[in-house]
Amino acid sequence: MMKKRKNLGDIGNSALFLGPTLLFFSMTVLLPFAYGLFLTFNKMDTPADPVQFAGLLNYISAINDQEFWKSMWLTVRFVVATVFFVNLVGFGLAYLVTSGLRIQNTLRTAYFTPNLIGGLVLGYIWQFIFVQSLPALGTKLGISWLELGWLGDPTMAFWSLVIVTIWQTSGYMMIIFIAGLISVPKELIEAAKIDGAGPLKRLLNVTLPLMVPSFVVTVFLSLKNAFMVYDLNFALTAGGPYGTTKMVSMHVVNKAFIESNYGTGQAEAIILFIIVAIVTGVQVYTSKKMEVQA
Amino acid sequence: MFHFKSNTGFFKKTAIVGIVTALSLSLAACSGDSDQSASGSKDSKISIIVTNGKGEIDAQFKQTAKDFMAENKDINVQVESVAVGDPMNVFDKLTASGKTVTMAMFSPFDATHKYKEVGMDLSGEKWNEETNDAIKSEDGTIIGFPFAIEGMGLVYNKQVVEKAVGGEFDPYSINTQDKFKELLDKIKSSGVEYPVAYQTEAWSVSNHYSSLFLNQSEDPNTVLKEVTDGKFDYMKNDVWNGYYNTMDILASEEYNKFGKRPTGQYYDAAHVAVGNGDSAILFNGNWAFDSLKALEGSDFGFMPVPVDNDPENPLNNKIIAGPTQALVINKKATEEQQDAAKKFLDWLVYGEAGQDFIVNKSQIISAFKNNPNKVTNPLGIAISDALVENKTLPFSTNYINTGDWTTILGPEVQKYIAKQSSRADLAKAFENYYKSNKE
Repeated sequence: MMKKRKNLGDIGNSALFLGPTLLFFSMTVLLPFAYGLFLTFNKMDTPADPVQFAGLLNYISAINDQEFWKSMWLTVRFVVATVFFVNLVGFGLAYLVTSGLRIQNTLRTAYFTPNLIGGLVLGYIWQFIFVQSLPALGTKLGISWLELGWLGDPTMAFWSLVIVTIWQTSGYMMIIFIAGLISVPKELIEAAKIDGAGPLKRLLNVTLPLMVPSFVVTVFLSLKNAFMVYDLNFALTAGGPYGTTKMVSMHVVNKAFIESNYGTGQAEAIILFIIVAIVTGVQVYTSKKMEVQA
Repeated sequence: MFHFKSNTGFFKKTAIVGIVTALSLSLAACSGDSDQSASGSKDSKISIIVTNGKGEIDAQFKQTAKDFMAENKDINVQVESVAVGDPMNVFDKLTASGKTVTMAMFSPFDATHKYKEVGMDLSGEKWNEETNDAIKSEDGTIIGFPFAIEGMGLVYNKQVVEKAVGGEFDPYSINTQDKFKELLDKIKSSGVEYPVAYQTEAWSVSNHYSSLFLNQSEDPNTVLKEVTDGKFDYMKNDVWNGYYNTMDILASEEYNKFGKRPTGQYYDAAHVAVGNGDSAILFNGNWAFDSLKALEGSDFGFMPVPVDNDPENPLNNKIIAGPTQALVINKKATEEQQDAAKKFLDWLVYGEAGQDFIVNKSQIISAFKNNPNKVTNPLGIAISDALVENKTLPFSTNYINTGDWTTILGPEVQKYIAKQSSRADLAKAFENYYKSNKE
């Protein structure tokens, strides 16, 4: 009798805590994902076309799409650049604002604020900076490499994207790092100090190993964000100049909705999903192994 | 203990399955509901569904449908607008859900390609007398009602140009490349360092500018046929080359504000520069006016894009204008519905309220000569004047697949502008696109 009541309570509990999340997760992720996967096996130009089975045709044309792999490679380079710098800058900021500066609370707010601005708005603001403000500054001060708009040069346009991404996301990573830094036990630091370890040694050998759980989260988030970047790409460079900064998400959207090749675009999106899932899976698995106990 | 645990798992799973089932049931119920309400038409009234492809005039369109219904009590018009930025056509959505759209708004290209099976013959309609811009199918049958006219050319700032030429300026006097260069030099010597602010958005340099050469035959379809059949020799074609010669002038370091690095997100910067008189000329259409952020008292107009040095060449003497949205009546609708839709079209052309809706309320350039109203946008006025004076060429963009051109050919044209590829490379890119895209 007792057991039965407990089980019933469990159902209630499950429904109460899991239900709402599960409902919205299914509605916004699971069902569309399953339906999207189903659609890749059909011949479709637009999502509203009648369903007509086509086997693996969409996957074959996706794999043969050179532009897709070109934009994928570009995205990988973007991922490497942003993951490295976002975490470096984020950790640096966190270190700075936990070091006991008098204005550290103000700084925390200031560094976090860019994260509250949406990618589209941010893109248009920075477009103004790269196209008009910096060149104006360059002309005034006679700095020749600043005189021209950044977004017209493939390399500079790429780094513009990286810079804005760093500016936007390192504040968010900073918050996670702050939580990690605060939870590093003080006595361990003190013990290291007594043993004669300098600031650099203390950072490398005590703080960083204990921060691995934070890095697992931040690297995962920045990986995922960088692979999926679209809004910033769209608003800042629109893939230009001459298609050199077209990230993979933009290629997928163009393929599916602008070139009216929905089946192929959707298949490319699934391939992208698989790649991101593998990369982030490996990252989380291997870096979890690096975690140490204090 | 073990037994107990596994039991919990079982119940958890049951709960999950239950929730998912409930969820899918509720979703199914939702879609079922909406179907029911739409098909239930009112007894003696004729119900028609009209799709509006211009989401920005949704309120005006719905109001005009109400006005129409007040005059025609036996007809019920249901307007379905696209949401601005929604990639899915509202026509597809409604058709997929089992409804028959009586009258749909398509781009002329879609009306004659993707939806060519939809439109019925409208050749017998009276309004054809008042317009030259009805949309024809490939065999020449009129299938589309021209709903909105738009136009493009070289947008110029009147104050700056008039100051440079010293008095009244006739945009149609610039009918050769040499005269155009001469004008640019005059503007330069009047103190404007860069007379042109050339913006290089992909859709502008490809869909708009790079389709201009189709107008070398009176019916753009003639050249287009050669192009799609892969028989068009770009490099040997004077008009095709001529337009890129003009583009070279527009993008040159000498005249272009952004000439040192000509591609790179200059849309806003270019429009503001021409709007406030820092530069004088850019290539765009009547919609550019919103971005010009014009100073008070300034005025703007269009001049033709010169292609060679023959002042008699019509391409040098006309601007581009044509329908960018067309209304098509569905063959599959009942005859009563089709007649009701035709009545609505007549009302848009001949009814005072209909004319007022198109031009004054929606600020759309009317394709019909009998419409006495004028839009307030100076670039729109320039286009309606050109229409009346017969100084327009077909809107060449209507003949191409704009989606593909933007994403596939746009970057190629930008590459040419940035001097990363030669004109022969550009010709090759066009050739390859049409080779890989045989339809």
